[in-house]
Amino acid sequence: MVPRSYKTDLWIDWCPGCGNFGILTAVVKAFEELGLDPSKTVIVSGIGCSSKIPHFVNVNGVHTIHGRAIAFATGIKLANPELTVVVHGGDGDLLGIGAGHFVTLGRRNLDIVVIMHNNGVYGLTKGQASPTLPMGVKTKALVKPNIQQALNPIALAISAGYTFVARGYAFDSEHLKNLIKMAIEHKGAAFIDVLQPCVTFNDVFTAEYYRKRVYKLDEQPEWNPVAEKPEERVEKMIKAIEKSFEWGERIPIGIFYIDKTQSTLEERYSQRIPLYPSIHPAKSNITRDVDKPLIDNNMFEKIFKEYIVDVEHI
Amino acid sequence: MPREGLSMILGGPQGAGVETSMTVLARALARRGYGVIADREYFSNITGRHSYIHMYVSAKSLPRSLRYPVDILAAMDAETVFTHIDDLGERGYVIYDTGVLQKKLDEIPSMEDVTKNRVREELRRLGVEPVVEDVLNFLRDSKGAGIIGISFADVLKTLMTKHKVDPRRASRYVSGIIVSAVAVLLGLDEESIRWSFSIQFAGREDLVAQNMDVLKFVEERMRSFRGVASLEKPSNSYSKLMVATGNDVVAMGKIVGGLRYQSYYPITPAADESFTIEKYEFSEVDGVSVGPIIVMQTEDEIAAICSAIGAALTGARSATATSGPGFDLMVEGLSWAGANEVPVVITYYQRGGPSTGQPTRGSQSDLFNALFAGHGEFARVVIASGDHEEAFYDAIEAFNIAERFQVPVIHLLDKFLANTVKTVPLPDLNKVKIFRGDISSGGLNYKRFDLSKLISPRAFLGTPDTVMWYAGDEHDELGHIVEDPENRVSMYSKRIEKMDLILRELPPERKFSLHGIDKPDFLVVGWGSVKGVALDALETLEKDGLKGAYLNLKLLWPFPLDDVSKILSSVSLDRVIAVEHSYGVQIARLISMGTGMRIRKTVAKFTGRPITLDELVDALKRILLNNVDRVVLKHGA
Repeated sequence: MVPRSYKTDLWIDWCPGCGNFGILTAVVKAFEELGLDPSKTVIVSGIGCSSKIPHFVNVNGVHTIHGRAIAFATGIKLANPELTVVVHGGDGDLLGIGAGHFVTLGRRNLDIVVIMHNNGVYGLTKGQASPTLPMGVKTKALVKPNIQQALNPIALAISAGYTFVARGYAFDSEHLKNLIKMAIEHKGAAFIDVLQPCVTFNDVFTAEYYRKRVYKLDEQPEWNPVAEKPEERVEKMIKAIEKSFEWGERIPIGIFYIDKTQSTLEERYSQRIPLYPSIHPAKSNITRDVDKPLIDNNMFEKIFKEYIVDVEHI
Repeated sequence: MPREGLSMILGGPQGAGVETSMTVLARALARRGYGVIADREYFSNITGRHSYIHMYVSAKSLPRSLRYPVDILAAMDAETVFTHIDDLGERGYVIYDTGVLQKKLDEIPSMEDVTKNRVREELRRLGVEPVVEDVLNFLRDSKGAGIIGISFADVLKTLMTKHKVDPRRASRYVSGIIVSAVAVLLGLDEESIRWSFSIQFAGREDLVAQNMDVLKFVEERMRSFRGVASLEKPSNSYSKLMVATGNDVVAMGKIVGGLRYQSYYPITPAADESFTIEKYEFSEVDGVSVGPIIVMQTEDEIAAICSAIGAALTGARSATATSGPGFDLMVEGLSWAGANEVPVVITYYQRGGPSTGQPTRGSQSDLFNALFAGHGEFARVVIASGDHEEAFYDAIEAFNIAERFQVPVIHLLDKFLANTVKTVPLPDLNKVKIFRGDISSGGLNYKRFDLSKLISPRAFLGTPDTVMWYAGDEHDELGHIVEDPENRVSMYSKRIEKMDLILRELPPERKFSLHGIDKPDFLVVGWGSVKGVALDALETLEKDGLKGAYLNLKLLWPFPLDDVSKILSSVSLDRVIAVEHSYGVQIARLISMGTGMRIRKTVAKFTGRPITLDELVDALKRILLNNVDRVVLKHGA
């Protein structure tokens, strides 16, 4: 299916100047350049400004509940592995209420891309501190400085088992687009932390703030984030995690870690169930003769023989 | 004289093989054509607490209720003797280990103090010393019980010597001692026991041989008791029977029904269903591939329901299975499924609440939770099964209803059914149909929530040339967020008006079943696990000239108020009795809500143990003959 456009014609109700526009541009461009079939592509989102994104992209969209996008996406991808599944959520959505799902996706290494719109605040509920806002920071929406520590999404994703971990910047759409393309082409769980200024509620981590600080890892000749062989894995992970703590005058964007040594969840299922994923749950037959169950009386007895007793009267 | 039926309790510490004993006996009895029902009672504990099997065997039917008192009490330990002192009937038999003869009540650490005190009081009242030997003497003298002591140590030593088994593994053969002792009392033939051991220990011929030797040693020690509790020749004509738990039959139903994605988070008593499904994730039979079924253990119940919904959007038949605490976590997802008209099935096994309550005991106290959980108003269907047979077909029908009407379906069951092993006739799959509802081939102008029909034809994520949107927010026909008031009214109404359609289109047998005589003098009303015991109670009462009927409610939401009103009108309301495993007897309140008819007579049991035939008969008599309004039942250990 060739789309008329990868963008819907809905009016976008993000605040003017919102970092989400940059992310949307990068997503649409990446989909276009990859030539993704919209009917085989699904954007799954949680709740919040970032999570309205499926409505603006002309591929299948599933706008779910707060924190649970990864859980919905997991069922979609496992039942139909032919689909390209991209999750969008905010930092509160994915790392606050949805942290358990975020960690589990890494553990499973299911072939899903997670794009986190990271602005340090809960925008749609007027600016509360999110799990990525550092302790002691007071944005203008907060009554008092943030009393909780921030977590490090990159380090968390790497230690959880994501096999593609990167950071982008919302207003460098070209760079972000390339990260998204690579993440989609990567086999396994991919995570992109996108620095995204919230023009209304976060007056600390602004576009101005980031413009001065971000630099590209990809342009550092010594930087090689790819674990090709099992013996390189731990070393690459440690280096990437170390790099992820660089935050202040210089903020790295680009690829932190790629792990090519791990099997995906789909591959593990294929080993157990030989026909998966070529005949997957969404595509496998459940009936015969239109409305009869696939399993008839004779097959039933063969399949469930351990529960069946042949009665012998004596 | 051979008996028509026989009750027994097999008791011992959790982890000692009580369940194995029951399974081996149940299969051996089924092999010879006997009907069996066996409830498993256990603590929330891995090893050591008292667990027991309450079992009834019938020569004339496939039994559907449990009853006290029992004919055989087979005790692996001293605690069983003390705990079940009230349960043995006249001229019953007690099998015990002579090694615990001098054990005192106070020396049993695994027994809860509150139970110990209750038993101590009871023994004091009866004038019996709290020592196993005195309890056994009392049972012999007051009830004429046959007391059969077997030195477990002696049997095991003989076995160890003969087979050179590691003595540390000796306790694993205690279940064999119990099986053997019961088999000898029943006069069950050796071949059926051998066959059953060979199923239990498939591929381990050494274990079969060793357990057959246990049978031989036990038989030598109780030769004079051979066949003293024999059963009549079975009159059942079944050539095949299933021996399975409720969890197992629901799993089989789901697989036959075309389940393709099952998610779960570990919880008692639901998790066993997912294990059974996982065993059959893929089969090839007669050249036909069945599956694949993805069984996913998720990180929590929230992920379980959300991933099942995700899978359902791709067209796969999807379900999750849980119990009360897990269902509570699923509620936000349930509401999303309602808003987005997603056919997803939640198999809900009730256990004792509130909170963790009684995690391993049964209840029916979550009816209202299933009916009303979730914010906002949306269509859902709640169905309940009265027994194993119903549960099998209902597991299939849950998917049919879900897909045909595009609603979440809650299949409400309980721990009694989940953990009860029964002999069940093989299902007839010629009677089963699969309805997938209106499916659209999609296309460029596809609208997932097309308002021109009450049920918008479903295309799946992945349908070629088709794009669709879903949102938990109120949406337009395409699935995009819209807050317009008129769209709100049409979309909201469309979703809810499906409930009337469901009531109109589901046939009466999906809504309820009515049992007993045509113009009854009284009507018992209930749902779920009450069915078996209610039907047996009606038969018993009929012998006393009390002619009743039982209304087994299956469709609980949308509530079939017209049918129920009609049935209730045929009997005077003060002759209608609602029975439930709960404090509030919620079914009476639901009927009142739906029909305006208030049922004042109730029988409630909320100990976590199932209602037994004897106590239900007694309760109904008190209500019918003595004009009592409410009876609360308490029997069971």
